[in-house]
Amino acid sequence: MKYILMMNAPRSGFEIYRAWPQEAAQAHFAVLNRINKELCESGEFVATSGLAWPAQAKVVRAGKDGEPVTDGVFPESKEFLAGYWMVDVESPERAYQIAARISAAPGPGGAPLNMPIEVRQVMSGPPEEFS
Amino acid sequence: MKYILMMNTMRAGESVPNWPAKDLQAHIAFMLNLNKTLRESGELVSAEGLAFPDQARLVRAGKNGTPITDGVFPEGKEFLAGFWIVQVDTPERAYTIAARVSAAPGPGGVPLNMLIEVRQVMSGPPPEMS
Repeated sequence: MKYILMMNAPRSGFEIYRAWPQEAAQAHFAVLNRINKELCESGEFVATSGLAWPAQAKVVRAGKDGEPVTDGVFPESKEFLAGYWMVDVESPERAYQIAARISAAPGPGGAPLNMPIEVRQVMSGPPEEFS
Repeated sequence: MKYILMMNTMRAGESVPNWPAKDLQAHIAFMLNLNKTLRESGELVSAEGLAFPDQARLVRAGKNGTPITDGVFPEGKEFLAGFWIVQVDTPERAYTIAARVSAAPGPGGVPLNMLIEVRQVMSGPPPEMS
């Protein structure tokens, strides 16, 4: 079963993150890199990526004639994806365990952040009702 | 440049949309055809669909790092329905592809003109963090 683990935060969360001391950021990424390495070794790793800052985010929809209409204004409360992992695991519980490890990645002072991670199953195709 | 195009169209508790079967089929056929076109142009990195929000969980580490799961989300929360990762030469090309996704047909074949969030995917942590 494939799952996506999503690290979401409101814009304010990114501002706080950006203000971390460099050594805290390095320690944070070191833990995430170690998790990635372990997932590669266990064969559960599918993909991971970080996204550009929310200030560069755009929302696009088709206008008349299908041409793109872009906008960069989002509601204050909107959560932005900071990064994600895709894993291939035997059970949802295993996906939750991996999410908890990511959740506990250290912040400033080395304290676990215990940040919420959204866990969603990735489907192999459209739901039966659609085909 | 890699971009992720996110279809944040679902809301808490939602499951399969209540559309006539032929409209659902036309919607999926449109998406599959778009994926094929992007694969042929060499721009498609991946395309994935997610399970419905009623199965979504929020997980955080509790004491001792054990997972604490929760299935309750705020009323207004946006849920990712699916996403595309594309490799393109410019952001404008990513916006053009996003507009095509946006115009996927809904009930009665009318373009949905959905909002698609477009974000650049980075090759590594920001320089100031490594």
